[in-house]
Amino acid sequence: MASMRTILILAAILLLLVAVPPFLGIAWQNALVNVLIASLFALAFNLLIGQAGLLSFGHAAYFGIGAFAALHLMIAVEDGFDFPTPLLPVAGAAAGLLVGIVAGYFATMRSGVYFALVTLAIAELFHSLAPHLQGVFGGESGVSSMRMPWQGIVFGSIIEVYYLTLGWVLICGLALWTYTRTPFGRLTLALRDNEQRVRFLGYDAHAAKVIVFAISAMFSGVAGALLAISNETANYSLFATDVSAQVVLQTFVGGSTVFFGPVVGAAAFTLFSFLVSDLTRSWVFYQGLIFVLVMLFAPTGIGGVVQFHARHRRQLDRSRLAGPYALALLGGLLIAGGVVYLTETVAVLFGQGYAVRMRDAVDGLPNYDLFGISWNPVSILTWLLPLVLVAVGGVILVRARRSIAGFWDRVGRSDGPVETKAAAPGGPA
Amino acid sequence: MEFAIISTLNGVTYGLLLFMVSAGLTLIFGMMGVLNFAHASFYMLGAYVAYAVSSIFGFWIGLIVAPIVVGLIGMAVERFLLPRVHAHGHAHELLLTFGLALIIEELIKLFFGDFPVNYQMPADLRFSAFSVFGSNYPFYRLFIGGVAVVMFAVLWLLLTRTRTGIVVRAAERLPAMAEALGHNIPMVFMFVFGTGAALAGLGGAVAGAFYPTNPNMGIELGVIVFVVVVVGGLGSLKGSLLASLLIGLFSSFAVGLDWSLAGLFGLFGLGDWARSLGGLMTLELSSVSATIPFALMLIVLLVRPAGLMGEPN
Repeated sequence: MASMRTILILAAILLLLVAVPPFLGIAWQNALVNVLIASLFALAFNLLIGQAGLLSFGHAAYFGIGAFAALHLMIAVEDGFDFPTPLLPVAGAAAGLLVGIVAGYFATMRSGVYFALVTLAIAELFHSLAPHLQGVFGGESGVSSMRMPWQGIVFGSIIEVYYLTLGWVLICGLALWTYTRTPFGRLTLALRDNEQRVRFLGYDAHAAKVIVFAISAMFSGVAGALLAISNETANYSLFATDVSAQVVLQTFVGGSTVFFGPVVGAAAFTLFSFLVSDLTRSWVFYQGLIFVLVMLFAPTGIGGVVQFHARHRRQLDRSRLAGPYALALLGGLLIAGGVVYLTETVAVLFGQGYAVRMRDAVDGLPNYDLFGISWNPVSILTWLLPLVLVAVGGVILVRARRSIAGFWDRVGRSDGPVETKAAAPGGPA
Repeated sequence: MEFAIISTLNGVTYGLLLFMVSAGLTLIFGMMGVLNFAHASFYMLGAYVAYAVSSIFGFWIGLIVAPIVVGLIGMAVERFLLPRVHAHGHAHELLLTFGLALIIEELIKLFFGDFPVNYQMPADLRFSAFSVFGSNYPFYRLFIGGVAVVMFAVLWLLLTRTRTGIVVRAAERLPAMAEALGHNIPMVFMFVFGTGAALAGLGGAVAGAFYPTNPNMGIELGVIVFVVVVVGGLGSLKGSLLASLLIGLFSSFAVGLDWSLAGLFGLFGLGDWARSLGGLMTLELSSVSATIPFALMLIVLLVRPAGLMGEPN
């Protein structure tokens, strides 16, 4: 059903991905490699929640397994085993698939929240066991290896790794998309919507879920292997809960109901963390905040909101919507400014550097620097500014939302892009 | 013998602490069907609030204030945040609380730093209760267990012997019917959620003074608590008590045992062969004690998927 427009957009993105990176700096190339890996991981993860309705909190396990498998194969190649370097992710796929079958067998014994808990616990199992297994996971220091040249390609520069990653991510992305078109892909959707009926139709629901789980784990393993090839090292921290948490955040902020939604979330979060990680230590806090706000006000995520507008583009009255949307953006920016200001102020005032200065200060609290300006922590103005920002932004946003909701109500689409009154039923339960 | 007694005592006190946190979780789940991912964060929040308050007003005030503050936060979450996503199903409620857990952890890091804080028990509780085989047993461990036991006696009496308890149990079984009889069910839900959060907060305030208080304590205990509810069966208080004690005992015994699979094979004369394999074979039980609960969970899933006391879903 892919329309001409979608194909054109995808082709343009593909062209950019192929043509632009050689002209970028190494840091950017590296960031793009991470974006691609995160995108594939999120797509693989979304096969479970978006298609099968299974919410996994422990996908770090299969990501990590893929990375370690690829590294062990790389070590074997180093020792003279003849294996083409570009095919290394196959090891990650195989390991992810095998571990996915075993873990999936246990995890899919239960559905709903139990499934989430069991997957979390399986990832923790790996996380707690890995540092003690010297042979497989290299203990606490992990496993390291080198990319070996193959057929004249040295794989020494990041751009070569980038194209390798791009190729694999495109193939896997395409495979995952094709999967949704197959009869088994349809059965996966049926598992989400009405598992009992699937069982009555004569399918073995448990076996089907194990297969879906294993496929998702396999592609996660490919993503992990790509990370291992890019970093040439991995240790047990790949199994940590924050790796599992990241993919959940990215997928749902991007939108799990749209196939490419997770890619949007993964790209946005990975690029953002690359851009702001030098500026702030509170990045994870902002991520959590964004995630909760998306869950509260736009449960379908960025992808869902975009899809809503694309679907109703004929009713989109640009002249009447532009104003309220611009107003909403302004309100959002004001609130974001206030919140960032408060967060960074707290980070400075409660930080260790400030504690030292407070001890050395002669009288009262010393001033602190933020955004290139020196602030007085006991001045009313310092605290009034963010509060005013948040309050004004809040008022603007509420008004803008009301007029946007009014527009969509008049059009007859009460299931607007953002939640307005009572939430509409539906969505994966 | 000495090892067995000490390990049993440690295991039971740790198990009771686990129960203190998992009871609230399973109570809330049984009633509202909401799995509160932020529950372990409430435990951590309790420890930090108690730390902050106790550094000014003393330990006992901190112990009282912490559960109240955490309970109020829990009520606010139930009142203002959960209803917004309720219509999107339980997965969204789970995701929302998951996001909250992340925010709480990062806020703690923001205010208190990403390292353990110096939250200590008061000096007048720092004595040994008794000595067994020449080693002193700290009184505070018994204190943790004691607080848990007292709390549960109170909770149990409240649920089974008072009018409020009857309403709460009615709301758990048939919310619509109880509401039709004129009881304010949303209020009951809010208070149950608040009580569950307060219990976790109290657990954190008591245990934080003994175990390290750091921003990771929430997720570390949280994962074990989730294992407890899966093993015990979600929604069953008896099941969580059993599973808590079981996991507490298993963990505390495992720390002191240097058994390995190679040792097991040694009983059949295959010890040298197993040792030559290395890896999992020579891994000692003591070094993988953190893995025991997860292994136990997998076994329970295999044998009894509904959990020890749970009803099949």
